[in-house]
Amino acid sequence: MKLSSFRYIVPQAFKSMFHNGLMTVAAILTITISLFLCTAFWLLIINVDANARQIEDDVRVLAYLSEDTTEDQYAAIEEEILAIPGVASCEFVGKDEGIKELEARFGGVDLEETLGGENPLPDRFSIMAETTDDVTTIADKVSNLAAVDVVRYGEGTVEKLFALTDTMRRVGVAVMILLALAAVVLIAMTIRLAVMARKKEIMVMKWVGATNAFIRLPFLLEGIFLGLFGGLLALVLVLLAYVNAGDYLASTISFVLVLDIGQVWLNTLVFTLAAGLLLGIFGSLFPLARFMDV
Amino acid sequence: MLIQTVSLGKKYKNGIVALYDIDLSIDYGEFVFLTGESGAGKSTLIRLLFREELPSSGQILISGRSTMRLSKKDIVRLRRNTGVVFQDFRLMERSTVFDNVAFALKAVERPWDEIKKRVPRVLERVGLAGREQENVMHLSGGEQQRVAIARAIINNPIILFADEPTGDLDPRTSMELMELFNEINEQGTTLVMATHDKNIVDTYNKRVLTLSAGRLISDSVGGWQL
Ligand SMILES: Nc1ncnc2c1ncn2[C@@H]1O[C@H](COP(=O)(O)OP(=O)(O)OP(=O)(O)O)[C@@H](O)[C@H]1O
Ligand SMILES: [Mg+2]
Repeated sequence: MKLSSFRYIVPQAFKSMFHNGLMTVAAILTITISLFLCTAFWLLIINVDANARQIEDDVRVLAYLSEDTTEDQYAAIEEEILAIPGVASCEFVGKDEGIKELEARFGGVDLEETLGGENPLPDRFSIMAETTDDVTTIADKVSNLAAVDVVRYGEGTVEKLFALTDTMRRVGVAVMILLALAAVVLIAMTIRLAVMARKKEIMVMKWVGATNAFIRLPFLLEGIFLGLFGGLLALVLVLLAYVNAGDYLASTISFVLVLDIGQVWLNTLVFTLAAGLLLGIFGSLFPLARFMDV
Repeated sequence: MLIQTVSLGKKYKNGIVALYDIDLSIDYGEFVFLTGESGAGKSTLIRLLFREELPSSGQILISGRSTMRLSKKDIVRLRRNTGVVFQDFRLMERSTVFDNVAFALKAVERPWDEIKKRVPRVLERVGLAGREQENVMHLSGGEQQRVAIARAIINNPIILFADEPTGDLDPRTSMELMELFNEINEQGTTLVMATHDKNIVDTYNKRVLTLSAGRLISDSVGGWQL
């Protein structure tokens, strides 16, 4: 196989793709849809993961002070909290500050006005644990304090989120395998048709002494082109969708963390193109192995 | 000896035995007719000789080497030294004369500059000088067979197999083509031609192998044997 022979091989691959028009389009679209779904799903997973991790970093025990607690008791309560083993810091958050935080999280709505000019939030202490493991014991102890009404901490949420990403990963792998299979089958069908359409030429090539590599390479290339075109299309679509979905989320629920496109585009590009390439190679190798040998 | 077969037999998958114990040898430069009634096994023998099919028993030796035990590389080399033409030409329709012939050189990965020079030369040899850009479907049957011959000989094969190359052509066109085959043979290419045209066999005083029901029943020089 000579390198210069690519001048004969590459045009054959393209000619075959055009000749096979409808099938080519179907194969490329299948690859695009498969890779788009896989990539979109993966982006969703890493974003949920990032949110879970951010919440995890932010796990704190919130000790809401009951209505009848008077302000002069606050210092004593703070001391009691700080005395609990595993407590790293304890910060007082007054009810006014509390509602402002909430308002910011919901994207600048005037909550107090919505609620009829009344702030329903109690004052609270926001307690940071030294490690996430301490959170439960700290929460237990804090809730035993007489002046403390409710204790809330984000631990459950984090566990649920991680459980969610776990499930998503497992479902994702199964879905990806199915989608990849569909793409490989479509490519294999396309290449099979291409081989059949060029049956006569393949016979002539064999008679005159073309090597196996020379006969097969155009079809392998055709598969690779299909895969790469599909991958490229999926890449463009998924990045467009990501930017739009990200903008939309950021403008509606501001406390959701959306990874910046700068953090994901390279991985997305490598994944879509590499997956497209692999699908193309596998898809064309099957029919080639089955349908022709000298 | 260029071609030698030793108790060559062929049984197809459907159980039909097409050839029984064929022993023959063909020397470099010979012109051999292969005759016999329809179904006698002519095409089968030719397909075995250019290794389109493999024997079910016996051996084929080309230049002393068994074709059964060739590496892929050697198979490729054997095919580059073997040309083949058929009754139905087997050209690429929708392509020009040039493209059909150039295809054989592209397939063996010759450089483009060389292809551009060699195709017109071989077309001249087969009597189609200057017809490069014509679509093969617009040519007469005889001319189409000339294109197929050009494609088969452009790599200068040592052996040319022809399976009823004049089967679909009128007597006059057949004779013109036979002249071309004769020239090719005189220029050194060994020629093995299956035919059931008595007229052709009688006109050329060549060696005649006669098959009947899968057996070689006669091997003589000159004239129809059945
Ligand atoms: N691919 C095949 N599979 C099964 N049987 C076949 C195949 N090719 C040929 N045969 C059978 O083998 C026998 C010999 O056929 P072959 O084509 O070699 O004869 P032939 O001498 O070329 O005949 P013709 O003059 O009609 O071309 C016939 O009985 C035919 O039916
Ligand atoms: Mg025949």
